[in-house]
Parts: sequence; C-alpha cells; structure tokens
Amino acid sequence: MSILERSAARPGSTPNRRSRQNFETWSWFFMRISGLVLFFLALIHFSLTHIFNDVTTTTVSFVAKRWANPFWRVFDWLLLALGLLHGTNGLRFIMDDYVRNPRKRAAIKAVMYSLAVALFILGTITIVTFRGNFSG
Amino acid sequence: MSPESTVYKGKTGQWAFVLHRITGFLVLMFILLHIVDVSMLNFPRIYNEIHALYGNVLMRLFEVGLLFGLVYHALNGLRVIMIDFFPGSIKNEKSVFYGIFSLTILLTIVGGVIILRPFFTGSVH
Repeated sequence: MSILERSAARPGSTPNRRSRQNFETWSWFFMRISGLVLFFLALIHFSLTHIFNDVTTTTVSFVAKRWANPFWRVFDWLLLALGLLHGTNGLRFIMDDYVRNPRKRAAIKAVMYSLAVALFILGTITIVTFRGNFSG
Repeated sequence: MSPESTVYKGKTGQWAFVLHRITGFLVLMFILLHIVDVSMLNFPRIYNEIHALYGNVLMRLFEVGLLFGLVYHALNGLRVIMIDFFPGSIKNEKSVFYGIFSLTILLTIVGGVIILRPFFTGSVH
C-alpha cells in the first residue's frame, strides 16, 4: 500500500482499526486472566460433583445444602459468567477462522451472542431464585 | 501476515493448538447443556430425573471425556500463558507439551476409574 493510498483511506478508518486493535488486545488479555481463574473454578467444580461426590448424589438437596452458603452461589455464578464469556469469545475466534463469508459470519455471531446472553440470564435467575426448601 | 510471523510449523505446537480448540469447543457445548439442566432446580422432580441419567454408564463415559477435555484445556492454557508472558520459555515448549499431555492422561485415568467404578460395583461413595 502506497503512502498516497494510505492517506486517501476513507475518513474514520483509522480510529476504527485502532479501536478494533484495542478490543483484540483486551480480548487476548481477558482470555489469559479468565483462563487462570477458570483453571481453579472449573477443576474444583468438576472434582466436587464427579470425583469427591458421585454424580448420582448431586440431587436438589445436595445443591440446597451447598447453596445455603452464599460463597458457593458466588462461586457458581462466577463460573457461569466467566465460563460463558471465555467460551463465547473462544467460539468467536473459531468463527473468524472458518466462516469466511462476512454475512454468514455476522449471522452466526448474532445467534451465538444471543444464545450466550439468554443462557447467562437463565443461569443467573437459577442461582438467585433457588430457595431449596422442597421436601426430599 | 508474513511467513515469519507463523509460529506453528506442524509440530507439537500445532497439535497442542488443534486439541486446545477441539476441547474448548466441546467443553463449551457441555456448559450450554449444563446451564439448561441446572435451570430445572426449581422443578425438583424434573431436575432429579435428569440427574439420575448422569449415573448411566454412557453418561459416565461422556463425563470421563469431559474430564479429559477440561484437564487438557486447563493445563495447555497454562502452557499458552507461559509462552505468552515468558517468551524465553518457548524453547521448552515441546517438553512442556509432553509433560502436560502425560499429566492429562494420568488424571483422566485416575478420575475415570473413580467416575466409572460405581457403575460396576453398584455402590455410590
């Protein structure tokens, strides 16, 4: 690209590219930090529900006992939020790599972001509204 | 992108990357399913019925697969962080990959025995 072409770039293209670069740098950093936190959250969660307890014992009353302590509600909510953000951002990388058609890519991203937001709301409602005072 | 900027040349780094992607994708798919099944908590009967399915041998095998994916993705993620934040460490990249892969296999076998045992002995710990 010649200097002339560069200076003739449409107005606004430089700030755009710059904000995109800033976003990608932030995204790169977020993946490392959230990954580090998820390393502990996800492995502790899996160990508690599959290794130290058998999965068949993780019934409603098991959750009720655990969620009686707000610490575990916060723990599980963090796992939900960071897991979805880290996972959806990872899926975004995959779509950028393999879906080359811009319209298809935009459509797929719209669907996956909507799904992530919907599941985040569903998960948050579950964690906040669960009372656990059922018999059995 | 210039050719010099390509780090992967079809060796361990390439396989580590491919496996990181596949395991990340599969773990995410499980998370999506898991958020939906946990949302049944306010309908205890349905929740308990769904969770009873997790004790089925096929689901237990699936959980061992999930353990493999989770442990590999977690350990390889640390390897990626190591390379990114300590660029000098890239010369050990290969042995670190073999290390974390062996550890993944070991933890999957140990965890796999614990996860599958109740199905064969019929007892739940």
